[in-house]
Amino acid sequence: MKVEILIYAYLAVCASMIAFNIACFFVFRRKDKKIDTCKTDFTDEIKRCIESNEVDEQHRKYLFKKLRRINNLMAFDKTLEELYPENPEKIRRYIEGLSPVFVYLSLEYLKKNKLQAAYFPYIIKKYRICSGQNISIITDAMLMLVRDPSLYCRENAMQALNVIGDAASVIKALRIIDEYGYYHHSKLISDGLLEFSGDKERLSDMLWREFPNFSEKMQVTVLDYFRFSSGDHSEQILRLLTSENRTDEIAYSCIRYLGKYHYEPAYPYLLDFAEASDEIHWEYAAITATALACYPCKKTEEALKALLHSKNWYVRYNASQSLDCLGFDYTDLIDIFEGDDRYAGEIMRYRLDQKKMKEKETSAV
Amino acid sequence: MMNDQVFEIIKAVLDGINIFFIVYMIGYSSFLFLAVVIGSSELYSKKQQEKLKNTLLRDYYIPVSIIVPAYNEEVTVVETVKSLLALEYKLYEIIIVDDGSKDSTSKKLIEAFNMQPIRRPIQRKIPCQPEEFIYETAMQKVPLTLIRKKNGGKADSLNMGINACRYPYFICMDADSVLQHDSLSRIVRPLLENENVVAVGGVVRPCNGAELERGKVKKYKFPINILACMQVLEYDRSFLASRILFDKFNGSLIISGAFGLFKKDTVVEAGGYDHSTMGEDMELVVKLHEYCVVNDIPYCIKYATDAICWSQAPERLRDLCKQRKRWHLGLFQSMWKHRIMLFNPKFGLVGIISYFYFLVYELLSPFIEIFGVASMLVAFAIDLINVPFMLLFFLIYAVFGCVLTLTAFFARTQTIDLKISPGDIAKAVSLCFFEICVLRFVLAFVRATAFVGYKKKKLNWGRIERKKINIQ
Repeated sequence: MKVEILIYAYLAVCASMIAFNIACFFVFRRKDKKIDTCKTDFTDEIKRCIESNEVDEQHRKYLFKKLRRINNLMAFDKTLEELYPENPEKIRRYIEGLSPVFVYLSLEYLKKNKLQAAYFPYIIKKYRICSGQNISIITDAMLMLVRDPSLYCRENAMQALNVIGDAASVIKALRIIDEYGYYHHSKLISDGLLEFSGDKERLSDMLWREFPNFSEKMQVTVLDYFRFSSGDHSEQILRLLTSENRTDEIAYSCIRYLGKYHYEPAYPYLLDFAEASDEIHWEYAAITATALACYPCKKTEEALKALLHSKNWYVRYNASQSLDCLGFDYTDLIDIFEGDDRYAGEIMRYRLDQKKMKEKETSAV
Repeated sequence: MMNDQVFEIIKAVLDGINIFFIVYMIGYSSFLFLAVVIGSSELYSKKQQEKLKNTLLRDYYIPVSIIVPAYNEEVTVVETVKSLLALEYKLYEIIIVDDGSKDSTSKKLIEAFNMQPIRRPIQRKIPCQPEEFIYETAMQKVPLTLIRKKNGGKADSLNMGINACRYPYFICMDADSVLQHDSLSRIVRPLLENENVVAVGGVVRPCNGAELERGKVKKYKFPINILACMQVLEYDRSFLASRILFDKFNGSLIISGAFGLFKKDTVVEAGGYDHSTMGEDMELVVKLHEYCVVNDIPYCIKYATDAICWSQAPERLRDLCKQRKRWHLGLFQSMWKHRIMLFNPKFGLVGIISYFYFLVYELLSPFIEIFGVASMLVAFAIDLINVPFMLLFFLIYAVFGCVLTLTAFFARTQTIDLKISPGDIAKAVSLCFFEICVLRFVLAFVRATAFVGYKKKKLNWGRIERKKINIQ
């Protein structure tokens, strides 16, 4: 009979889970209704402020009282979402006047659980609140969230910092992520930096200054950011590439950068990488094969043709791609097609056939 | 005197069986209970996370290759590719591998997408049958490639796809399935959260009854076909129950072949899909566990509860039986091949909990259940059974199963905001009882007899009747 008791107990819990499901359904509906009511209140209040062209103290106090609750903050978000398309300029001005409210709220939201805490930087980022204003209470709150083990807290806080646009705070945040050793995908960081709204030149200077103190992983991330942001760093990148204590990963990033932005002084080094790569270090040859597409000349042609004969598939593939990018045609590559290396001929023919196919398809359209 | 002794022996044996079944049932009920409780709370917490924007909000595009193995799929393949082209994701390619179809699968694709023949060299990282021809087109939103190869089975086609794909991650899916519009961005999310992820499983939901428009559910109602309805309930229970729980301790042993994402390098190093098993999808996941543990590679196999793939559930009993036989054989082959994992401390909880669960409650369960019914009949014949108690016990078990199924069903529909009518709710409530009391035993018999003549079907694709998916 004890088995029955156990099963009865399980049944009771499961039945209560169904009841929980049903209750959830009604609770969610009620919550949605509440948010709708709250939205109506916010709409009236915001419209009043927009018409009078100022965010008065009374309104700030009202918001501070209301927005401490997460559901109200969600309703506020929805209200702004709806009002913005009607009058973007006025809403923008209205938001600018809300900085003091969010300064107080930042302290409130730091005390909340991490799910709710992560919502606060999301709002800061979405409406670019305090953008261009270095308000230490808010940036400090964001830096606290960057220390959180939750990826979403960290990511939302990083995004908020990038929108606020204070280079020193962003550098601090990167150092925190690096020091705490939490996994934060490099793509999240580099793409985030691209959205930095402050003085980009200052950010770059500070990143270079801090560069030696970063871990190798963070250094690669920063180099990725430089690659996607501008070609102004070629000199430093070449210096880094030729320095003795740089690692392979750093070198790959440097070569990728120099393959995106033409920098003549780097060319001899790239040729060296293309020629000297053995089977173990095939990555150098593969990445250089792509980078050489940025340096059209006879030497490049010879180097790429030589790379077409590599034993490594990726090296051959990238070399063929670069030759194609440099505009070489079937007649220019006759030596490859008529040579002994079947693999080199096949990969090159494929690239050119593919190009021809694309041209044919485009002209048909 | 002699008869008394025999009777005593039978009684002792039946008592032993009784104890075994009590332990077995307690184990199973506790597992299901835990799994459903943890599963539904996880779904609710995910929903809350989504509401409070605890998600990666920008478009982070990790390049992904989608491999679609196809064999005699002329009815559905064009629609499947069209739905893939409508996915809300930027950086991906589609590779369809026609495994020597006898129908006009390739022809339909070439015509529908105006594809051009090309001589494309393919690096053979994993052995597979040679290609017969390759077609490509660059006129679509993303690169689309068709590789027609000599027939070699689904695993062989997937290996060809892996060899041909360009991106570091690939998705395998069935040619009769449709990915939900946001499924790619959701299935790649675990890769951004954890650097050691080597595979991610998506959720498979039967599309019977669903009306899809550009990968979005336009209308959802329970399928008209009763068999399909019961599979909807069954899928919800199994996906919610075991997969979320196993995901908690990196113990997933299955990623459905209909929708899964893998890290190409790791799969290639592990040897790719195994041609010789019928359950190549499960075998690959078990192999990845073994490969990573043996080689001391930090790894993680995740389950994305919000990445949804809509797939056709068989509507004929014959097709369903064929499918389940195939799955059961695949399960046996995968488990036998990687038996080293059972209770091996090196594999941690995967060997102790996941492998043991699959062995006892999946692989051996049809035999155990049939044995249970047979011993009940014997006990009944010699008047050793308390019939009212037996009926009560069975009723409790059935109600327990129904409650769990419904919990899973409601948790799932509510958290993905599927609107279902009161009629469908009534249908779900009534059919889950039938599923537990009848279909489960029918399928137990089918699975138990799966081994009869299995060698002959070695490279069989396990055909089921295909219908056009309701896509607009």
